Amino acid sequence: MEKLIANFNYVIVVILMMIGLWSMLAQKNLIKKCIGMAIFQTGIILFFISIGAKDNALIPILTEAANHTYPVSDVSKVANPLTQILMLTAIVVGVATLGVALALAQKIYQQHSSFDEDEILENERK
Amino acid sequence: MSTLPIWQFDVLLLILVVLFAVVALSIRNLMGAAVVFGAYSFMMCLIWAGMGAVDVAFTEAAVGAGVSTVFVVSTLYNTGATVQPRTGGLAFKLFIGVVVTIAGAFLLSALPDFPEWGASDSPVNAKVAPYYILNTIADSHVPNVVTSVLADYRGFDTLLETTVVFIACIAIYSILRVDKAKLEAGEPAAAPVPRYDPGDSLIVRQASRFMVPFMQLFALYVIAHGHYSPGGGFQGGVILGASLILLAISFDLKSLLRQWSEKTLMLLVAAGVFLYAAVGLACMFMGGNYLDYGFLDSILPGEQDMARSHGILLVEIGVGITVMFSMIAIHINLASNGRFDRGL
Repeated sequence: MEKLIANFNYVIVVILMMIGLWSMLAQKNLIKKCIGMAIFQTGIILFFISIGAKDNALIPILTEAANHTYPVSDVSKVANPLTQILMLTAIVVGVATLGVALALAQKIYQQHSSFDEDEILENERK
Repeated sequence: MSTLPIWQFDVLLLILVVLFAVVALSIRNLMGAAVVFGAYSFMMCLIWAGMGAVDVAFTEAAVGAGVSTVFVVSTLYNTGATVQPRTGGLAFKLFIGVVVTIAGAFLLSALPDFPEWGASDSPVNAKVAPYYILNTIADSHVPNVVTSVLADYRGFDTLLETTVVFIACIAIYSILRVDKAKLEAGEPAAAPVPRYDPGDSLIVRQASRFMVPFMQLFALYVIAHGHYSPGGGFQGGVILGASLILLAISFDLKSLLRQWSEKTLMLLVAAGVFLYAAVGLACMFMGGNYLDYGFLDSILPGEQDMARSHGILLVEIGVGITVMFSMIAIHINLASNGRFDRGL
């Protein structure tokens, strides 16, 4: 239980990912599926940022004002920059892929005038 | 209690985030879902800022809470399907719920093996990351470690991520863009005519006319000052793109397309990636490895370390151009249904 409280953010990561996954599988609406995909993605980003966070650390910008000395004497006082840059690019790529998903949904709407999966399948069968 | 999470404030925000996620997925008004999802992104950005990831928080504020909400809203606006009809299938939803819960339980069972939240000696924090923190000043004079890792130490990574944005832009073009000749020859019926024209509102128009120059100035600052403060090509590019998207929303698409024709947009999206790749090639011609900016010291001012700093700036400008124009191109495609005539 103590472990669970100390790792509370990882619990939230799993919950968010599962909410996103549930939405992608169970929701019939294409827009809701897209939002679910984005929520799944932010869950993963939260995971990466959490593992890179350090207790009592400052942001990874080395300035005199923050009492950093060059070279940095204590690395544990600066947050991990590596996980941050991986996720920074992932966010921008994420919005581009969300755009592709929405474009596909829009194209489907043009053909079937519905975002609902069941109605689309029914239209296909006709 | 010593084992309490270090950031109590974050715990509150984390619970709020889950609430927002559930609300965004459960309300049937899709416009509302898009807006709640924007709020969700903003909460996420606060959490990341709290964990010291300022660059990521900045990007999320510009991208997640800003541009992606606009994308969803313009898709809905275009189709007119703003309300999700009530559907049955409760048993199916419950079944998926059970499956997902089991999957989540498996993931949670791995939890005790994780390093504690905020441990600075975990494998992630102890292996390669300290090298970047210790050497960034000596190598390239860039105090913002995130920028130097992004564009210098892991430049390949960023080059390919920028290419992915470029490819996504092309994909959206090929999915949605309608040929003009076909359109005149009688394509299937046009999308439902928008009922409300925001360009009618004097307040919206004047306010955005006043705001856009400041947004663009700030975006240029974000790109240029990315070495010393949170920011860089991605964030600045998105803000520049958002400023023009704001113009397109508050006036109309036509006036935006008069300034930036479709061809110019596409050329500039490619030009950004090209600039990035060309800087890498230039390094090879100067005798170094691909994207090894230190070898540019004979054409850029300063010694080898300053040449790396300037190389980072060039690359960030390339990223900014690609991201800015791809955001605009994606928005125009989504908002006008690929017709490029009118839209949100």
